Amino acid sequence: MRLEKEILLHVGAVHASAEPAVIKTLLGSCVAVCLWDPAVRVGGMNHFMLPQGSSTGPLDDPARFGVHAMDRLVGEMLKLGSSPSRFVVKVFGGASVLAMPASGGHIPQSNVTFVREYLAREGLRVAAISVGGTLPRQLRFFTDTGRVLVRRVVALRTQERLFVRESEQRRIPGEFGDVTLFRGGRR
Amino acid sequence: MSATILIVDDSATMRALVRGALEADRHAVVEAPNGEAALATLASMPTGVDLVITDVIMPQMDGLSLTRALRDDPRFAATPILVLTTEATPAQKERGRAAGATGWLVKPFHPDTLRRTVRQTLAERG
Repeated sequence: MRLEKEILLHVGAVHASAEPAVIKTLLGSCVAVCLWDPAVRVGGMNHFMLPQGSSTGPLDDPARFGVHAMDRLVGEMLKLGSSPSRFVVKVFGGASVLAMPASGGHIPQSNVTFVREYLAREGLRVAAISVGGTLPRQLRFFTDTGRVLVRRVVALRTQERLFVRESEQRRIPGEFGDVTLFRGGRR
Repeated sequence: MSATILIVDDSATMRALVRGALEADRHAVVEAPNGEAALATLASMPTGVDLVITDVIMPQMDGLSLTRALRDDPRFAATPILVLTTEATPAQKERGRAAGATGWLVKPFHPDTLRRTVRQTLAERG
């Protein structure tokens, strides 16, 4: 029996591995994208949601953070020697867990719409997609084979905890990166 | 002051975000998806560009190799190069400085910050 390294991915995180590993995560309204390059057996996953905002086109403000989550994932994959032309893309999440109209029932759909539009814009074809519905998804992504196991979570307490955590997360505004100007460097 | 700016990034979405921010300041924008394509684009432009904004991690030629190649070419030795990347450690920034970059912006970028940095960089160049 193989003992693979296990990585638990929280919202906002990205992980890619060239060694056999299992990347695990729990998704409610968030989305996760799994990328796998069969030629070099490199796999990576992100887990994100768009911050609150009125619009979700790939070039709108809230989507900047979705673009960033995708950019980081592709970057980590490239660092490990993979090539975007070989990416096998799988998309998960965007469930309306315990959704109530007052809590913004469109949010899961916004996350999914963003990912679909982003991938289309980048010319990345989706090999498998499991989105929507009302139950959270527990993912296990095997980075050496590209296989993803999806389990729906029916336990109500887990759903409630996830709903609260994601609602809190959504209210955190995204942070922008800093600027450094080099003085007296090689110009 | 409007300028001609080359954006180098493997993500079409990221290039569109940067283009949108710069065109709001009336800059003319040309794009390339990697370092090799950027060199080819520059070779086809007799008047060159006023500024290069480049990602770091890209297929074919990465942004720091592109920066070194431009600094080794007398035509581009003085062209400002801003690195726009998810890479954020001091060691990575130092590699950028050593390669000859003018500045280092960490993604995600705010469009106002990008425009301000571009204005400042173009003004310092004179």
